[in-house]
Amino acid sequence: MFEGTLVDLVPFEDDYATYLESWMNEEAWFRAHLWDRREPHPEDAVKKYIEKMEKNERAALIGYQTKAGDPIGGLIYDHEWSRVRKVEVTFFTGDSRYEGTDEVLDGLLMLARYCFETRNMHRLDAMSLAFDEARIDALRRAGFVHEGTLRQHIRWDGDYVDVELYGLLEDEWPGYAARIEALGLQASDLEPKPKPEKKLEDEKALDEKILAP
Amino acid sequence: MLEGVLVDLVPYGKAFLENERRWYNSEVYFWGTAGDRAVFTRAQVERWQAERAEGAERRASTSVWFGILTKDGKPLGDIALDEMLPHHRVALIGEMIGEPEYWGGGYGTDALLLIVEYAFDWLDLRKLWLSTMGINARMQRAALKVGFREEARRRWFWYADGVWTDDVMFGLLRDEWPGRDALVERLGLRAREEV
Ligand SMILES: CC(C)(COP(=O)(O)OP(=O)(O)OC[C@H]1O[C@@H](n2cnc3c(N)ncnc32)[C@H](O)[C@@H]1OP(=O)(O)O)[C@@H](O)C(=O)NCCC(=O)NCCS
Repeated sequence: MFEGTLVDLVPFEDDYATYLESWMNEEAWFRAHLWDRREPHPEDAVKKYIEKMEKNERAALIGYQTKAGDPIGGLIYDHEWSRVRKVEVTFFTGDSRYEGTDEVLDGLLMLARYCFETRNMHRLDAMSLAFDEARIDALRRAGFVHEGTLRQHIRWDGDYVDVELYGLLEDEWPGYAARIEALGLQASDLEPKPKPEKKLEDEKALDEKILAP
Repeated sequence: MLEGVLVDLVPYGKAFLENERRWYNSEVYFWGTAGDRAVFTRAQVERWQAERAEGAERRASTSVWFGILTKDGKPLGDIALDEMLPHHRVALIGEMIGEPEYWGGGYGTDALLLIVEYAFDWLDLRKLWLSTMGINARMQRAALKVGFREEARRRWFWYADGVWTDDVMFGLLRDEWPGRDALVERLGLRAREEV
């Protein structure tokens, strides 16, 4: 566990894998993956995605949750590129109750912290659909700088939508602690959701398999 | 296959592959890769070519490669549509002329006009984009001449010869494209004696 102020980063497994079966079919996921074709993700596609990210040395999918252990969604870095010390970052708010909260912002700050202070990146790339205000707000508050607009770049629900590009440089990152101090984050104190049921079934199935002679 | 004024776009075959080792071991590679320099052995180039050949089928739906050939049959380099996404109807253009003595002679612009027309008129794409180093004046000039607009400048994106340089991104929407003939005329592109 990698501890932040309002959230902690945890391995993307167990309950997260179960949640992802629905999250990966919801709006927040598609907004975070705006290049991808919108299509249904059945359980095996979700599993494959998690495996693919685990094996990919230039990318990671990380779970983030409240201090009370309530899973919020995923933080992603991808296409890490050592020659130019640069990486693409994104995040999704699987539990939509957290959209626009400081928990999500802290998740993004923790991702930036990890990329700069651990992985020694020089630059983070981020992008957002022009209408995705919650994402743009989080990027701005985290210190990302707007660098341009790809005009009518994405087909979205019958329209062609602009994509806003953001970047954050090593020199602009004052360090996680300083950023947190300047922002004064507020916990939203949402009631943790009940644990997913599917997980219990899986465990039962697994137990049965292990017990079988 | 696609006939231009100074160049034709043709299949990227043997005549081009034979030149790759020389092209990649030169200054061309630095510009073509936005800052990388490498010294490739013959075996490395061959392995790379074999890998590309193997992956060709897998990439067929997302990219189209052309060789750029002068009118008197000299292979100059490549131009390609890449990262084609049919749901958004966009593609990324990449271009590289491997013979520096041809740079600045209008060949790159002519090739660009051909691939834009191909992307709009044959593949029904809706938007094309490309990106290049802030220090690559030739690519930027060629893109602007063809009607691309600067859309973004990603700061300190590339590392080239020890300094950070921006990434300049250009986009061209189909509604903004007056057609290739109109641009050939406006730019005054004319067939010429070879250098
Ligand atoms: C980029 C490239 C494809 C352009 O093709 P080209 O044939 O050189 O381009 P053109 O001659 O058609 O147009 C280039 C324009 O840049 C201008 N130009 C050339 N050198 C220049 C310089 N140093 N500064 C400013 N402008 C310059 C030319 O004068 C011309 O403009 P003009 O016609 O208005 O005078 C080619 O130069 C190339 O392959 N370079 C190496 C690889 C590369 O950079 N690929 C792009 C990677 S993103």
